[in-house]
Amino acid sequence: MITLKPITTRVLKMRKNYRETMPKVCTARLKIVTDFYLENPNITGILKRALVFKELAEKMPVLISADEIIVGSMASTYRGSALFPENDIVWMKADNEAGQLFNRELDPYIIDDEDWAYISSVIPYWSKNSLSAMTDAYIPEGYFAAVGNQVTVYGDKGICAAPVGHFCTNYDKAIRVGFGTVREEAKGKMADLEGKMDAGTIKKYNFYRSVVIVCDGMITLSKRYGAEAARQAEACSDLSRKAELEKMAESLNWIMEKPARNFQDAIQIMFLYQIGMCLHNNMHAPTFGRVDQYLGSFYKADLAAGRMTPEEAQEIYDLFSLKVAEMNKIWSSGTTLAVSGYTVGQLMTLGGVDKNNQDATNAVTYMMLQTAARLELHDPPLSLRIHKDTPDLLWEAALETTKICGGVPTFENDDVIIPALMKNNRMDLESARNYCLIGCVEPAGCGDEWPACGGSGGEAYWNMPMAIVHAINDGHNPMPDFFGNVNENRTGAHTGYLYEMETFDEVLKAVSVQYQYFLEWQMSMVNMFEVVAAEHMAQPLVSCMMDGCMESGKDVMNGGAKNNSCGVPGVGIGNAVDSLAVMKHMIYDKKICTAREFYDAIMSNWEDREDLRQYILNEVPHYGNDADYADEWATWLLNLFADIVTNFTNVRGCKFAPGLYPVATNVLWGLMTPATPDGRKGGDPLSDGISPVQQLDKNGPTAILKSVSRIPQERFSNGTLLNMKFHPTALSNESGKEKLEALMKTYFDMGGMEMQLNVVSVATLRKAQEHPEDYQNLVVRVAGFSAYFVELFKNCQDDLIRRTELTL
Amino acid sequence: MMKESDLTGKVYDIQGFSVQDGPGIRTTVFLKGCPLRCPWCHSPESQSFASQLSWMAMRCIGVEKCGKCLTACKKGAITVGESTESIGTGEKIKLVHVNRSLCDDCGDCTKACYPGGLSICGEDYQVDDLLKRLCRDIPFYKQSGGGVTVSGGEALSQPEFILALLKGLKEQGVHTALDTTGFTDFKNIVAVLPYVDLFLYDLKHMDSQQHKKVIGVPNERILENAKKIARAGGKLQIRIPIIPSFNDSEENLRLTGEFCKALGDAVTLVQILPYHNMGVAKYLRISDDPKIFETEPPTEEKIQNLKEILESFVLKVTVH
Repeated sequence: MITLKPITTRVLKMRKNYRETMPKVCTARLKIVTDFYLENPNITGILKRALVFKELAEKMPVLISADEIIVGSMASTYRGSALFPENDIVWMKADNEAGQLFNRELDPYIIDDEDWAYISSVIPYWSKNSLSAMTDAYIPEGYFAAVGNQVTVYGDKGICAAPVGHFCTNYDKAIRVGFGTVREEAKGKMADLEGKMDAGTIKKYNFYRSVVIVCDGMITLSKRYGAEAARQAEACSDLSRKAELEKMAESLNWIMEKPARNFQDAIQIMFLYQIGMCLHNNMHAPTFGRVDQYLGSFYKADLAAGRMTPEEAQEIYDLFSLKVAEMNKIWSSGTTLAVSGYTVGQLMTLGGVDKNNQDATNAVTYMMLQTAARLELHDPPLSLRIHKDTPDLLWEAALETTKICGGVPTFENDDVIIPALMKNNRMDLESARNYCLIGCVEPAGCGDEWPACGGSGGEAYWNMPMAIVHAINDGHNPMPDFFGNVNENRTGAHTGYLYEMETFDEVLKAVSVQYQYFLEWQMSMVNMFEVVAAEHMAQPLVSCMMDGCMESGKDVMNGGAKNNSCGVPGVGIGNAVDSLAVMKHMIYDKKICTAREFYDAIMSNWEDREDLRQYILNEVPHYGNDADYADEWATWLLNLFADIVTNFTNVRGCKFAPGLYPVATNVLWGLMTPATPDGRKGGDPLSDGISPVQQLDKNGPTAILKSVSRIPQERFSNGTLLNMKFHPTALSNESGKEKLEALMKTYFDMGGMEMQLNVVSVATLRKAQEHPEDYQNLVVRVAGFSAYFVELFKNCQDDLIRRTELTL
Repeated sequence: MMKESDLTGKVYDIQGFSVQDGPGIRTTVFLKGCPLRCPWCHSPESQSFASQLSWMAMRCIGVEKCGKCLTACKKGAITVGESTESIGTGEKIKLVHVNRSLCDDCGDCTKACYPGGLSICGEDYQVDDLLKRLCRDIPFYKQSGGGVTVSGGEALSQPEFILALLKGLKEQGVHTALDTTGFTDFKNIVAVLPYVDLFLYDLKHMDSQQHKKVIGVPNERILENAKKIARAGGKLQIRIPIIPSFNDSEENLRLTGEFCKALGDAVTLVQILPYHNMGVAKYLRISDDPKIFETEPPTEEKIQNLKEILESFVLKVTVH
C-alpha cells in the first residue's frame, strides 16, 4: 500500500511560493548577451557561443532564496523568465502591438516599464541579428508556393524562437566525471592538434577550445553560488540555516569541477548544469532523462554511511522538483495557445530495464513518484518505463500517483520501444536499453543522442487530415484566412478533385502523392533550419558531456553525438483515418451520395448537408471501435507516413523517425483546419494523439485499444501518444486499479507503446471551469504534458471535457 | 435439424469493458425479453421479447434539415411535432412525433434517420456472429481474469440460444458468467450449468406475496433454483437491488442473509445494488405512456447499515 508521507514546512512554504508567484520578465540575460554581441561582431560561430556562456556564468545574478538547498536561477527574481534575443525577440514587439503582451490571460508575466523600455530599445538590433532573421534568406524558392498549406508547420519566415531542445545530455557523466576532467581532456586534445591542423582538425580544435571555455564557465557559476551561500551563511543568525548554507557553500565549491560525493552534490550538479544549459540557450524541452538511475547509488551509499535519512533525502528531492517547476520562459501569445501552463517540458524518466535487461527500479524511483503525488506537481513531468518485470509495488505507486496528479507518470512500454529505437540504424542495443523520454512522449537516447526534434527545436508537427483535404481539392487549401480570403495558389501537389475520382483507389493515390509532397517539404525545411542554426547556435555546453562529441571533436549541432535522429510527428490521426473510411463508405461502397455531393458538402462546411454529416457520425464505422472497416485504414495510412519519413535523411546523416503526438496543437490547428471528410466541421479541434475522434469511440476502452493497436507502432520510434480519461471511480478500489493495470498490460502486449491517464470526472472539470478559484491545484494531462486545468486555454478545457469519459 | 450455430437470439446491447458484472475485464451481452416486471427496472427496453422502435428526441436535427422519416414511414405513424431548440446548435427546430398506436416497429424510418434518433432496439444475432464479436476482447479477459457475462432481460428465456452461446465461449476458453433472475424452469439451468463459471443471481424479496404483488411473479421458484444450483456445484454471486420502501427493511435483509448463508460455499460474493434513477429517461424512448417508477435513491448510511446486516452472516459483501 502506498501512502503519502507528511511534507515538511519548508517544502510547503516553497510550494506555496511557487503557486502564488507571478513570473516576471528579467532583462539580466538580455543585457549581457546584447552587450556581448554588440561589442564582438568579429567573433563568430562556436567560439562566440562559448564566450557568451562565459559572460553569462560570470555576470548573471546569483539568487539563493530563503529555504533553498538546491540552487540555481534563470533570473534576478524567484520564478523569473530570461529572454533569448539570439533566437528571436521581435515577437515581443508584435505581441505588444496586438495588445497581447501585457496583462494577457494565458500565462501572464509582470514586465516593468523600465525593462520594457530596454527591451524595446534593443529589438531593432536583434531584428537583423536573431536566428529567425538570419534564416529568412534561406527559405527555398520552391517552398513559397506551398506557404499557407496548413499541413506543414512552416511559413515564409524563419521561426526560431526555440531553436534547440528535445534532447537529454549525459547528466550521469556530469555527476560522476565532472567538468574539470572534461576540460583537461579537451586541453589534451587541443595540445595534440597544435601546429598540425588541416581543414577538418581546425574545426575540431575550435570545438575543444569551446569546451574548455564552457567547462570553466560552469565551474565559475558554481563557485559564484558557493560564494553567495557563504556570504548568506555569515550573515545568518539562525544556526541551523547557517549550517545548511555552509554545507551548500562547501558543496558548490566542490562540484562541477569535481565529481559528486553524495546525494546532495549529485542533485545540485544535475540542476545547475540544467540552469547552465538553459541560460546558454533558449532550450525547448531540455530533458533530465533517467534521474533514478543517476541518483540511486548515491542515495544508497549515503543511507548506508548514515550521512542522510530517507526523510532528508525526500525533502531535498522535493526542493529540487520545486526548483525545476519554477523554471519557465515567456512564449509568444500564439505559442502559448498550444503550450500554456508555464511549461518547459523538463521530462524525467524512471523505472525500466538496465543495460543487462534487468529491472532498474530503485529507492529513488519511488521517491520521484512520492514527490509528484504529494506536491501535486505537473512539472517536472514523469515517464515510467514499464517492462515485463516491473514490480507490482511500482505499478501500484504509479497508479496511485496518476490518480492524484492527472497524467503523471505516463506509462511507456520497453518491450516495444527498445526494438523500435534500433530500427533504421537509429541506435545500438546498449543505447536503446538506456533510452529515456524527451519532450513529452518521445523515446530517445539518454546522454548519447541529439534528436533535436524538428531541427529547429520545435516539433515538426504535420497535419494529417489537412493533407487529405489537399488530396481531394487538387492541392488547394479551401480554408479562408483571418480576413476571409482564400489562397488562390495551389499549395500542394496537383492531384485533381474528389468528384473526378471514379474509384477509391484514385483517392488513395491522391493521398499518397500529397503525403509524399508535404512530408518531403517538411523534412527539407527541418534540414534547412538545422543547417542555418548549426552555423550560429553551436552547443558546446551540451556537447561537452554528450556521448560521442568529445570523441568525434564535433558539436552536437554538427552530428557529433553518438546517435542522431530527428522526429516528424503527425497530428489528427483519428480524423485522417476516419476520412478515408468515410469516403470509401459514402461514395464508393454504399453509394450514399455522389462524389460531387460529398465534395460540395465538405466545401460548404456541411452547411446544407447536416443529414450527410449525421449519417457519417452515426452510421459509418469509425476508428476506435475495433471495427476492421475503419481500422484497416489506420494501418494503411500510417505505414504510408512511416515509409516516407523513414526514407528521408536528416543533416546529421540519420533517417528521420516518425511520431504520432500533438501536445495541444490539435486544438490550435483545428482552428485553422477546414471541414474534413470525417464529418468534422471547420475550426473544431483535431483528434488527440492516436486516440479516436472525440466522442466517436462508442465501444469502450478495450475497443479503443484494439483499434490503436492496428497502427504499426513499432515503426514510430519518435513516439505515440494515447490519452485515456477515466472517472475517479476507476481507481477508487483495489479491483478498479487491477483492471486498469490489466487493461494497460494487454495494450502493451498488443504492441502499444505509451499510455497516459486522466482520472477526473467531467463534472469536476465543469466545476473547475466555472469556479477556477476553487480548483487551482487540479492537474490534468493535456496531451503531451500535464498542466493545471485552470491555466489551460478555454478550447483545450472544452476538448478535455468532450473526450469520452470511461468508467470502470 | 437446425445447427446450433444457426440459432438466433435477440440482443439489445453489447457492452465492452464491463467491469461491474463479474471478475476482471468483461464483455456483457444483453438479451431481450423478461418474464418479470420490476417497476424500478433501469433497462425497460429489455422487457419485451420483440424488437421495438426507440425514439430519442435529443438526437433529432429537425424536419427543416432532415425529415426523411416522414416519408419513410408507410404507416403514417410519424408526423411533424413540436418546436424546440436544437441541443447541438441552439437553432429553433421542429421535431417529429411518433404515434405509437400506428407504429408496428417495422424499422423503415430508422433506415432514413441519419442522426440516429430513431432506431430499432433488439437485433437478431446468429450464435457464430455473436461469438466472434464476444471473442474480440479475449486478450483483455486473459490478462485480467475476466470473460463474458450473458445478461438480459432474462437470458434463460432464450434457452437454446444461450446454451449454444455458452458452449461456444467455453470452447474458446472464455470465463462465463450468467446474470439471471432465476425465474425459469430448472431444466434450462441444468442444461447450461456445465458452461457457466459464475451465476450472477438476483434476490429481490424474501416474501413471496410481496414479490408477486410488485414484480408480478412469486419467488418460490427463484429461491428453489438457487438452492439447486448450489447443490449442483454452481457458483453464485448474489445481487440485491435495494429499492426504498420495497425491500430495504432490515427484516428482509436478515432473511436474505440467512438464505445466502444456507447456500454455503456456493456463494462467492453478495453485491448490494442501491436503486438509481438513471433508467428513467429510457422509458420515454419506447413508450408514449410509460409507467415511470421514481423514488429517492437510498442514503449511504442506510446502505452501510444493510451491508452490516448481511455481513453478520459471514458473507463477503460489496456495494456498487
